[in-house]
Amino acid sequence: MDFTFTEDQLLFQESVRDFLVNEITPERIRRSWESDSGRDPELWSQLAELGLTGMTVPEACGGLGMSEVDFVLLAQECGYVALPEPLVHSTLVSVPLLLELGGELAAQWLPLIASGEAKVVVGLEQNHWVEDAHIADLLLLQRGGNLVAATPGEVNLRHNESVDPSRKLFFVEVGANAQVVASGATASKLIESAMNRGALGAAAQALGLAQRMVDLSVQYTSERHQFGKAIGSFQAVKHHMANVAVSLEYAKAPVYRAAYAIAHAQDIAWHAVSHGKFAACEAANLAAKNCIQVHGAMGYTWEVDLHIFMKKAWALANTWGDAGFHKARIAQRIFAPGAALGADATFA
Amino acid sequence: MKLSFSAEDEQFRQEVASWLRDNLSGEFEKLKGRGGPGDEHSFPQERKVWEQKLAQGKWTCVGWPQAYGGRGCSIEQQVIFFEEYARARAPGRMGHIGEGLTGPTLIAYGTQAQRDKYLPGILDGTQFWCQGYSEPGAGSDLANVKTRAAFDQASGKWRINGQKVWTSLAHESDYCFVIARTDPGSVGHKGLGFFLVEMDQPGIQVRPIEQITGTSEFNEVFFDDAECSSEDIVGEPGEGWKVAMGLLGFERGVSTLGQQMLFQNEFDEVVRLARSNGAASDPVIRQRIARAHTELKIMRYNSMRMLSGQSTGDGSLQKEALIYKLFWATWHRSLGELAMDVMGPECEILDAPPYALNRLQSMYLFVRADTIYGGTNQIQRNIIAERGLGMPKEPRGTL
Ligand SMILES: Cc1cc2nc3c(=O)[nH]c(=O)nc-3n(C[C@H](O)[C@H](O)[C@H](O)COP(=O)(O)OP(=O)(O)OC[C@H]3O[C@@H](n4cnc5c(N)ncnc54)[C@H](O)[C@@H]3O)c2cc1C
Repeated sequence: MDFTFTEDQLLFQESVRDFLVNEITPERIRRSWESDSGRDPELWSQLAELGLTGMTVPEACGGLGMSEVDFVLLAQECGYVALPEPLVHSTLVSVPLLLELGGELAAQWLPLIASGEAKVVVGLEQNHWVEDAHIADLLLLQRGGNLVAATPGEVNLRHNESVDPSRKLFFVEVGANAQVVASGATASKLIESAMNRGALGAAAQALGLAQRMVDLSVQYTSERHQFGKAIGSFQAVKHHMANVAVSLEYAKAPVYRAAYAIAHAQDIAWHAVSHGKFAACEAANLAAKNCIQVHGAMGYTWEVDLHIFMKKAWALANTWGDAGFHKARIAQRIFAPGAALGADATFA
Repeated sequence: MKLSFSAEDEQFRQEVASWLRDNLSGEFEKLKGRGGPGDEHSFPQERKVWEQKLAQGKWTCVGWPQAYGGRGCSIEQQVIFFEEYARARAPGRMGHIGEGLTGPTLIAYGTQAQRDKYLPGILDGTQFWCQGYSEPGAGSDLANVKTRAAFDQASGKWRINGQKVWTSLAHESDYCFVIARTDPGSVGHKGLGFFLVEMDQPGIQVRPIEQITGTSEFNEVFFDDAECSSEDIVGEPGEGWKVAMGLLGFERGVSTLGQQMLFQNEFDEVVRLARSNGAASDPVIRQRIARAHTELKIMRYNSMRMLSGQSTGDGSLQKEALIYKLFWATWHRSLGELAMDVMGPECEILDAPPYALNRLQSMYLFVRADTIYGGTNQIQRNIIAERGLGMPKEPRGTL
């Protein structure tokens, strides 16, 4: 057993973090809120140049052929900067779904995704709204028991504003002639797999978001003085942060475990994901609550950057299954007849 | 103990309800349910006109003594008034700070001349107030205010220099009560003065601060040789802290009754939503709603218990109020979380661009402020332990 990441994985995380922290500044995010699409094509090209858009695309299709375990740390970094671009969605949901669908669709689109020339988004009924449908070149949509593939010309989009101004959500109507790409048992398997991957992506980003809120707050409470002392020296303030640190640190393992389960196509992936999604989003929501509190009135403003991360955490907690959904799945597994729960079921 | 309202009180209830029914209509119809927590920026002008309407019916300052122009309502009647006010979904009170804070403070600590000058504008709903306490360096450590007031012999006026921050509704206010340092070189709560300052003057600049909700209710206020007449200092120079603390007693006392009743409205809205969207059939949600309801009752009963046994007799509260603020702020923050869980995934979607939060979403954000303003939860706990329980003081400065 080895629960650690390789040196290469950690180095890659570090270099991606450096790039993202330099490029995706809070000022840039605020600027993106003012733009119509909220997206920056130049940034997407940069991400493609770094190989990030093709992380999970097979080498034969021009990608890096990496796994969910390789990507999970990067998804965390995307959360750390609250990246508006749909990189996590594309890498963890769209690419694997295309791979699972295979055939011509995969052959056509995967190279374009890897090179950064095309974006594919996935819309499941669980989510009601489709992320980034306005910039998609292809949409893979759940319609009842089917999966259909639609081009932008075949869909009608209605924009819905999210509490996170970075998220672009759409109610999508699709014409009757959109191509059915999977149906029946195949489709439901693919839909569930996409759902689990989406939840993994949200969970990993939640870890990054929580970390960012902690970093901002540790800095703020070290600088802000009241009663002649840094407020971070007050035990009540420290304990707020320590509680978040515990919750955040412990949410990492289940998220990494979920990435591993998905990467190795384990049967238990669904409930491993539920553990991770629930724990990570709970940590991020706690981070938001405590970090606002230790900022005092500053934390209640639009001008202080904290809310950029707080609002994404709020939104992500409610997509790809909210806490209730994931806890229900975990309970379903616990109470299933003959469920493997005992000492010999550590990784079951 | 007698836990019921008298026939006379019920009669009073009818009177309030029927006045609101008759008057909260026509041009005021659109104000229903508006201007509450998280929505204070809405319809300020119309809500000011509504204050004047209330005044015509003698429904402002119902708890003030009759000698000062109020109705002299008993605690029971004040409870009833606020219950009916909330039930009618009448708008958030623009006059709240004048009625709840300035007025009682002037009645307790002001001169007759100050009362004559300022109470009428509060009573008739034409003059509005804001609270100039916090500064960039003085939040929890309020006694650290740096704003200075110097008496200018030539003009016979005070000159105020410095900065306040987080000043709610400063941009809609005619007056601000300001704590400023009158003794140069003094520190802590000694050497302060409590001033009544006119906002509309060249020495005052107001800059709105955008809140997490995307709207602006609080402001930065800059004082650059702002003037204040020699009659407009409450108490003696150097003794403003006593007045400032007296005012906080009012802020945490009867003046929160109105807010309590709004909690009931918000709770009802959460229940209504749970019924209509099916969340009410989720056992976890049901139990959380039951808890929230129990705690709402606990708050209501305790506030009435505290107020009916008032130790001070003037609508301010002492020790009990310390617990009260911590309890309701924390309760309200949990109600925000519950509301979002009842909404489910829909809670991510705004009503409209740009950033138009619906009522429950804006409540969810606003409740974050409840545990901060008027003394943060941490400060409240320190006070409960130190002043309430007499535990040893934390090593810290003033307050
Ligand atoms: C919506 C809103 C409206 C407001 N309206 C007004 C207004 O109209 N007029 C006005 O004057 N002010 C107003 N305020 C300001 C409010 O009173 C202050 O925000 C509050 O006193 C806290 O001060 P601060 O924001 O500077 O936080 P800080 O004092 O900097 O506190 C930051 C964090 O440190 C903690 N902390 C500080 N000291 C200690 C300690 N000794 N022990 C443990 N923890 C500690 C706090 O609990 C908090 O978590 C408003 C604030 C808000 C949010």
